[in-house]
Amino acid sequence: MKTSIKTQNTKTALRKSALIGCSLLTLSLAACDGKDNSDDNAVQKKGTFFLSAAGESGQYILRTDNLATGDLKISDNVRQLEQAIQTWIFNDDPSVAVGLIYQQGDPGVCLGIAVADDSTLREPVEFQITSRFTSYGFFESYALTTVGGQTPADDASRSDSATFNIIDLNNGFSRAEKSIPTLNITGNGQQATFSGIVDMGNGEFLTGLVVSQPKDASQTGGASSGDITCPDSVWVAAFDKDLTLKRIYRSDKLSYSSGRFRSQYYAQIDKADDGSVYVFSGSYESATTKPCGALKIDKNATAFNPEYYFNIEEKTDGYRFRKVWHVTGNYFMLEFYNTGKETPVTVNTAATQYGIVDMAAKTFRWVTGIPAKEQITGTGLPTAHGGKMYFPIVAEGADPAIYIIDPATAAGTKGISVSGASAISAVGRLSY
Amino acid sequence: MGTKFDFFFTMSTNSFRRTLFPCFLLLCVVPPAFAQESAAQLSGKVVTAAGQPVEYASVVLKSTRHGAVADGKGAYLLPAPAGEYTLVVSAMGYKSVEQPLSLRGRQTLRVTLEADERELDEVTVVGKSAVRQVNESAFNVVAIDAKPLHNTSMSLTHALDRISGVKIRETGGVGSRTQVALNGFSGRHIKMFMDGMPMEGFGGSFQLNNIPVSLAERIEVYKGVAPVELGADALGGAVNIVTRQLNNTYVDASYSYGSFNTHRSSLSAGHTAKSGLTLQLNAYQNYSDNSYRVKTQLLDVETGVYSREKYWVRRFHDNYHNEAVVARAGVVRKAWADRLLLSVTLSQEKADIQNANLMTIVYGGRERRARSAIPSLHYEKRNLIVPNLRLSLTATYSISRNSNLDTLARQYSWSGVYRQKSSKGEGSYSTSETDNSNFNATANLRYRWGAHYLTLNNLFSDFSRKATDAAANAETATAATFMRRTNAKNVAGLSYKLQPSDRWSALAFAKRYDVLVRGPINISTTSTTVYEEQERSFSTEGYGLGATCRLLPSLQLKASFEKSYRLPSESELFGDESLETGSAGLKPENSRNLNFNLCYNNALSKAHAVYLDLGLIYRDTKDYIRRQIEQRYGGAYYANHGQVRNFGFDVEARYFYRRAFSAGGNFTFQDIRNMEQYAVGGRKLIYYKDRMPNVPYLFGNADATYSLYDLAGKGSVLSVGYNMRYIHAFFLAWESEGGDITIPTQLSHDLTLTLSLRNGRYHIAAEAKNIADEMLYDNYSLQKPGRSFMLKIRYFFFT
Repeated sequence: MKTSIKTQNTKTALRKSALIGCSLLTLSLAACDGKDNSDDNAVQKKGTFFLSAAGESGQYILRTDNLATGDLKISDNVRQLEQAIQTWIFNDDPSVAVGLIYQQGDPGVCLGIAVADDSTLREPVEFQITSRFTSYGFFESYALTTVGGQTPADDASRSDSATFNIIDLNNGFSRAEKSIPTLNITGNGQQATFSGIVDMGNGEFLTGLVVSQPKDASQTGGASSGDITCPDSVWVAAFDKDLTLKRIYRSDKLSYSSGRFRSQYYAQIDKADDGSVYVFSGSYESATTKPCGALKIDKNATAFNPEYYFNIEEKTDGYRFRKVWHVTGNYFMLEFYNTGKETPVTVNTAATQYGIVDMAAKTFRWVTGIPAKEQITGTGLPTAHGGKMYFPIVAEGADPAIYIIDPATAAGTKGISVSGASAISAVGRLSY
Repeated sequence: MGTKFDFFFTMSTNSFRRTLFPCFLLLCVVPPAFAQESAAQLSGKVVTAAGQPVEYASVVLKSTRHGAVADGKGAYLLPAPAGEYTLVVSAMGYKSVEQPLSLRGRQTLRVTLEADERELDEVTVVGKSAVRQVNESAFNVVAIDAKPLHNTSMSLTHALDRISGVKIRETGGVGSRTQVALNGFSGRHIKMFMDGMPMEGFGGSFQLNNIPVSLAERIEVYKGVAPVELGADALGGAVNIVTRQLNNTYVDASYSYGSFNTHRSSLSAGHTAKSGLTLQLNAYQNYSDNSYRVKTQLLDVETGVYSREKYWVRRFHDNYHNEAVVARAGVVRKAWADRLLLSVTLSQEKADIQNANLMTIVYGGRERRARSAIPSLHYEKRNLIVPNLRLSLTATYSISRNSNLDTLARQYSWSGVYRQKSSKGEGSYSTSETDNSNFNATANLRYRWGAHYLTLNNLFSDFSRKATDAAANAETATAATFMRRTNAKNVAGLSYKLQPSDRWSALAFAKRYDVLVRGPINISTTSTTVYEEQERSFSTEGYGLGATCRLLPSLQLKASFEKSYRLPSESELFGDESLETGSAGLKPENSRNLNFNLCYNNALSKAHAVYLDLGLIYRDTKDYIRRQIEQRYGGAYYANHGQVRNFGFDVEARYFYRRAFSAGGNFTFQDIRNMEQYAVGGRKLIYYKDRMPNVPYLFGNADATYSLYDLAGKGSVLSVGYNMRYIHAFFLAWESEGGDITIPTQLSHDLTLTLSLRNGRYHIAAEAKNIADEMLYDNYSLQKPGRSFMLKIRYFFFT
């Protein structure tokens, strides 16, 4: 190999060594795992923060070890991206950033990025996904994306397929793709769109179902789901890694578990540190009679915990939420619509206020110390690290900044900002 | 502004100043009366031996500045002081006539010109062609004669690309998507016209990128300031294609074949009978596999992972073909109509789509199709009711259908292998069809009395767009996707020009724009969207000034100014369809366009001639309509924001040695910078004063032609041509953001060899393009063809 590198120019040689490095990465991570298991706490993983920042005309990656102090400029970027990645998701083990993109009817060239031992970013692995996605998450050592309302390859008259991309993080981001029919999955003749991916840790994952009439493409074209005729029920499905349906959880205490915004289905299902899964519902549908709240699926349980019900709406003066993120322990951060009960939520209702819920204590607090809701022009994908939430916010007239939120007090403090950027679209932590 | 004038004043000769001074006065105000030294005037007609009018002949009093150009009917009017002169009448293709003239009072003179078989035997001041007439108008305009390009296999876009200030950006080979950029403006800021009618709604199958250059008589590029005849909200300028409409009997047929299995053919034929009945037919066809090689990363379809190395691969799904017919029938030279023509244009195209906007995303089955039908009616009458009142009316109705097919359940790699997908669509399943219909009607009234020209122009256009196939449009579609959108626009313009002599002229014009749009808007108050069709209107006024004067017979100074507008489109007025509130307070995008040109055109001797044109432009564009997305408002809205300043120059130079050799080139530099300091919310912008990203700003062309006469028999011409294109590297994003992606500096060379026989009846042309096999990109990632060859044969007969 050395002789071949000699004959190439530096850039190619660098790329080549990066490729070798990357393919070795998975091996070394696996080796790390082994060490961790056999020798507890012997290796404390080091880490760095990865920021995806948008300029006015380009998108960039920045890296920093400290989100509390040390402001950045967008020109400090370590990489310009060819396309504006829509969604970055960050996995712990193996530690990678996965950049997902799919737009305008074209497949997306997605990125997988890991950090080298000297804390620099490795050359990204580029991989292609050919289906749109409305929801995503990690399951075992895979990143999963899903979209509903797809037309199966063998039957142009149907559009109830859900298509998954299954990206193997331990195998160079190689991607498998699979579609499953969803018609009558809930036994009532309706189709389902999946929202959220939560790894149960037992070879299964959970996903919220948006159950609707089969999508009638001839009437509306478009969206993943059809008309919602059962707005007062919540369904959750458990799948194994072959996408075989294991069971359905159902309750009439909540509306469906998904936050809607245009074509997106935001996850409203997530796992606490003790392995129990909380199924939230932001009661998006105007027709639902259920307040927004949450149910619980205990670790490895095959039904909702009948004892657990948390009516969140009664603690929030009627404000409803659309996004849910786990912070630490039993703390979750929720993104709320800006209008209360008196004004119904529409597809255009703004959502720029935030609250912290303690799901065990069933308490709620509005987040303080961040810009006022009417000042927030944009937010990015937050990350939880060391018991704190790191949340990118753009306030009117200010550079985008990371706010550090302590879930115990729901108080936020301003961390670093990135001058020259119009948004920090995501922040995550990568270890090495 | 003073500094620019100082530049000219540095050339201080007495005569220069004498002529310069009134010229500068004109820039500010048109003098109420311009002192005329005499009342003498010569008028009449220039005709052929057969009595046919000679178009645009030059009628000059030798060794004076007095001259005139005959109109399209051979009529001329030449005011001059009384005296003894030598009259010189010349026109391209005719032998010049010189005769003494004793001018007293009002005289008429009919001049007969004999055809010159050896046209342009040596460099002479030839008759003012329409091209030259346009070039010498007060506007910052470049008109090129398309006829010398008729032996090439070029499309109109490639001809345009040779004009200073113009940059064509193609995404690939034959038939690929093309963007015309004019002094930094592109897209909605530039309007395309064909014979004065907007080309909007013509559909993809009849566009500049597939129309052969042989369909055109000339191409006019108005940089910034556009005359009222081109009625449109063209903020950044306008391109007008003037099609070939000969009033005699002719046949022009050609076929070319070349690399990548490219076939092109065209046929033009026409006949005008003595009775005035005229019939014209243009038909053409383009076909190419576009199977050129590109260098890109390879996808392993089984794993979905890309190679890191790039490899050379051949394009395998990029077949393009299109066919079009333009038929005209009508009458000319009638008492009630100088011209009444009915024409129909039928066209279709089919294009495989090989890749997305990144070349790494490759397709094996996607395609787009378009077809259109464009009936049109044209009426023209000179001396309507009173002498010198000319009316022309044109109405065009175009219907086009554009479809986009993505039906295969496959994922392709550049090697041509594919994987079966589990859902339909390589991108997203679509058999979508969109119907556009467009009605344009323009009325133009011109009146001339003495040195005064008045033009009134009104253009009404009504554009309607509707997606028709609801079942299979792109999956992100909503109910609104299938609702109709219409955009009705009226642009009225009034222009006054004073041209007391060939030496100077001044003009002022005003335009009034009205737009009425209709489209869907979400009126829901619940979580389900409900669309309703609504209507909004908008209007504004613009104005402009221009002046030109001849400082010396060979040196012309031009200046023009326009406050121009681009009106909001329907999506901008309604905001995003999902928004409840549109942006009713929107202002039109507006620009102050200022142009100065200095043209020098002189035959230094019988053997040598030079042409020089320096154009300076200043554009101050404000109130860009931009889509803003703010989470606190729940979605997108449109706002006026941004200011861009462009200060640039175009230089063109050309040298002629007899009729044997010519060499020239043009060079464009445009310093286009963002002058907005703050974002909408007040955040400081890091790219204040940055150069506009993803816009070429430094580029040029050079060419040379050498011709040998009578080598292959009498009347034969063998020409060797060379053409070079240069484009300087530019950034994809704002430079201050610190990105490293650029579109690289490129230099490419073309060679042509043309043999014309029997006085231009037979032609054989061989072309070699991009002979150095450079990797060429107009857009990031999208590689254009490498070295290619083309052979063309052509037969041209006319009487």
